[in-house]
Amino acid sequence: MGTTASQLGKADLSEYQELTFLTKQEILLAHKRFTELLPKEEKNSTNARVPMTKILTLPELKSNPFKERICLVFSTTNPNDGSFSFDDFLDFLSAFSDSATLEIKSHYAFRIFDFDNDGTLSCGDLEKLVDCLTYESEDSRLTTEEMRQLITNILEESDIDKDGTVNLSEFQHVISRSPDFVSSFKIVL
Amino acid sequence: MMTSKVQRLDSGNEQELLRLRRASSRTSGQNYPQYNWNSPEERDAGNAEAPRELRTVAWPMALKRSVRQVQQMQVPASSNAASWKHNKTKSLRKLKNNFWEFLYYFTLWGRSLQKIGGNFGGGVQSYFLFLRFLVVLNFVSFLLIAGFVIIPSFVLGSAESGFVNRTEEGPCMTYDPNPNTLVAFYEYFLHLLSGTGFMEDSFMFYGYYNNNTGTEDGSRAYNIPLAYIFTAIFYFAFCLCCIIARMGTAARVAVATGGSTVGNYSMIVFTGWDFGCLGNQATKLKQKNIYYRLQVDLEEERIKKQAASLTPWRKVALYSLRILMFVVALGLIGAAFFGIFKATDFSQKHMEQPGFLGLLIEFLPSIVITTGNFLVPLLCDQIALIEKYSPSITVVMALLRAVVLRLVSLGILLFTLCSQITCSGNAEASACQQCRYDHEKYPCWETRVGQEMYKLMLFDLLVNIALLVLVEFPRRIVVDNWSCKLSQLVGRQEFVVPSNVLGLVYGQTVVWAGALFCPLLPLMNTIKFVILFYCKKITLFHNCRPALKTFRSTTSTFFFLVVLLFGWTLALVVMIYSLAVINPSMACGPFRFFPSMWKIVPNSFYCLSKVTQDFLFFIGSQAFSIPLFALSCVIMCYFVALASIYGKSVEMLKAQLKLEGQDKQFLVKQIERLKLQHLMPALRAEVQD
Repeated sequence: MGTTASQLGKADLSEYQELTFLTKQEILLAHKRFTELLPKEEKNSTNARVPMTKILTLPELKSNPFKERICLVFSTTNPNDGSFSFDDFLDFLSAFSDSATLEIKSHYAFRIFDFDNDGTLSCGDLEKLVDCLTYESEDSRLTTEEMRQLITNILEESDIDKDGTVNLSEFQHVISRSPDFVSSFKIVL
Repeated sequence: MMTSKVQRLDSGNEQELLRLRRASSRTSGQNYPQYNWNSPEERDAGNAEAPRELRTVAWPMALKRSVRQVQQMQVPASSNAASWKHNKTKSLRKLKNNFWEFLYYFTLWGRSLQKIGGNFGGGVQSYFLFLRFLVVLNFVSFLLIAGFVIIPSFVLGSAESGFVNRTEEGPCMTYDPNPNTLVAFYEYFLHLLSGTGFMEDSFMFYGYYNNNTGTEDGSRAYNIPLAYIFTAIFYFAFCLCCIIARMGTAARVAVATGGSTVGNYSMIVFTGWDFGCLGNQATKLKQKNIYYRLQVDLEEERIKKQAASLTPWRKVALYSLRILMFVVALGLIGAAFFGIFKATDFSQKHMEQPGFLGLLIEFLPSIVITTGNFLVPLLCDQIALIEKYSPSITVVMALLRAVVLRLVSLGILLFTLCSQITCSGNAEASACQQCRYDHEKYPCWETRVGQEMYKLMLFDLLVNIALLVLVEFPRRIVVDNWSCKLSQLVGRQEFVVPSNVLGLVYGQTVVWAGALFCPLLPLMNTIKFVILFYCKKITLFHNCRPALKTFRSTTSTFFFLVVLLFGWTLALVVMIYSLAVINPSMACGPFRFFPSMWKIVPNSFYCLSKVTQDFLFFIGSQAFSIPLFALSCVIMCYFVALASIYGKSVEMLKAQLKLEGQDKQFLVKQIERLKLQHLMPALRAEVQD
């Protein structure tokens, strides 16, 4: 069961080891960091959830421009409020771990970049993505003309079936040709 | 809901419809991989669609857990053999995971490298990864040399009676490396720096080793000269294998993608973000970085469009300017080479000066090489500004020039030494007549060459440390505490990856060239590189700001290894020349009575048993080598054909994908048309009501 009791049981530990890409030490460290984020009264309860605002205080996520998207993608609440249970937290760490496969990473990267959650990367998604990547201050923003040129180029290169959006397979096709992706899509506690 | 759909139809926006269709399909879970709920036997009987491991599927934890419970309930139903195999594979996988976890603790400097990568990016991290690779390579090669040459020499006591006066006292035989056993303290220090005196008379250099571990007829307990030669050859082969193995991973990617350069923008945007960036500073820097890259690429595109529309006159002017600048750069490099040649010449002729002046003269070649390596790239950078190439070509040109400068200047130094030792190849010159090498200036020429390499290595390390202390720290202090126009202009130091990597390659080439003559050189190089790692790390974190123009980390690893191969080739040429052409010294070393170092191999060959001799003759003969050559040609043709087939199938699949997309759009149009036909009568009926 998704326990957040102060000690993680041995059966739970081996189950998590089988279902995620994390090592035993990483799971224990994750458990420690997760319980630190819980308020005192919930520290021993099972199935506790940490609200999004607290997750965003983690130093690994604090300055990441995709932090809200990460919370929304890995959270399993309905309606989606970005809060994490311990299971969600482990899913997140597993996808970003050292040994996760390219398919897992590209799948989650696609979902993180899909800002409107419609299953494809449209022009609006791509524009928001480029803004996240480059917008640091007013003077480091691409002009509208440059943005248009850039998005046209991106769609020309990666949209194979020419429907004006990038779907998951086209995205994975681009990712598979990049040798840097697996090492840059990594967050280690 | 139907009316809204009709409205959308009327507007004829097919893209919108496609997206709606996708959205509805997504909510039904079609973007998630499907799970085959059948039992294992049915699954195996059909096709292996179910995922091997649950964690490789992108499902939330709750779903994975319930599937795992179902799997566990199904397990007792399967046969004994299947379950035993399943358990065995599971335990094997667990063992493998535990082993890799255990090994990870022993990765050298793992945590530091992670921190460097998070704060300064992949380009700088690749420099430190390269440095770590060289440290490990040098240490393992030292263990090799120690095991086969140094320890046997030490144990069998062959080195002690190294300089006993022999009965035949010819002019070629006089060699005394340590004439004054009582030396003043400062002379001790001078000896340490230049490798003479007590250092020459030790395991460091070639001259100390001997071949009297047995009788002269060749039946020895341990043949030190043979071990010496084979260790040197194996050391070179081992380094080559390591470099090529490391290149293999980088090259595999380039070949698999068919070498296509398409996808530059999408690659930057989709894979450019480094999720390991920690802290606000690093994030802002990464954003600036990506912004700069995108801007540069967009600008290059605009420039290309512009350049295509240049008038012929302007094109001619541009090309003639480029040719002129190329000649100027060549002239600068040639001037540097001439300087090195003259300096080596002068230094070798005036070797025996005492005191500090003598030390300066001894280090003259190293000083000139280092000065050249600093000045000429600076000037070449200024030249590159005039040439107006696109940014990527400018970087490549600058690197090529720096590589040529560094490696060929080392080559010139070695060539000058060689021509002095052999009197420029003229065996009839007065100095070289008796012993076929200049025995007056070089009673033990191998040791002298080893000393030169040792001095180069030491000087490189000292210069790096001196730069750190005297230039980088003060620069940071000045820039941080004194805000005037000049300090704003100069700014903090940037960690420039390419020139640092070339420094490493130069250092490693020096060690390779000198390893035959100075067996302890790899060990000293290991220590030097370890010191360099910590020095560079300190300067990186305290003095440097991250570079705006980053070096691409994967292509750069491949590039570093290619340059390292150039250095290896240069050292190989030196080794082959010393082994096969030049006469070994008659006054020192294990090869003193052979006409060339290689001669010991044929001599020892005849000590082997008849069967082995016949076998080795057979391998070397034409009856074996021609069929082998033909076979390797056939295998190579097979691999080339395979590679081209893969490339073609990739192209075909891409074309198929395009067709599928068009089919999809056609079908969607058909569906909408049919829906419209269906809806129209219903709508008319509604309106009538």
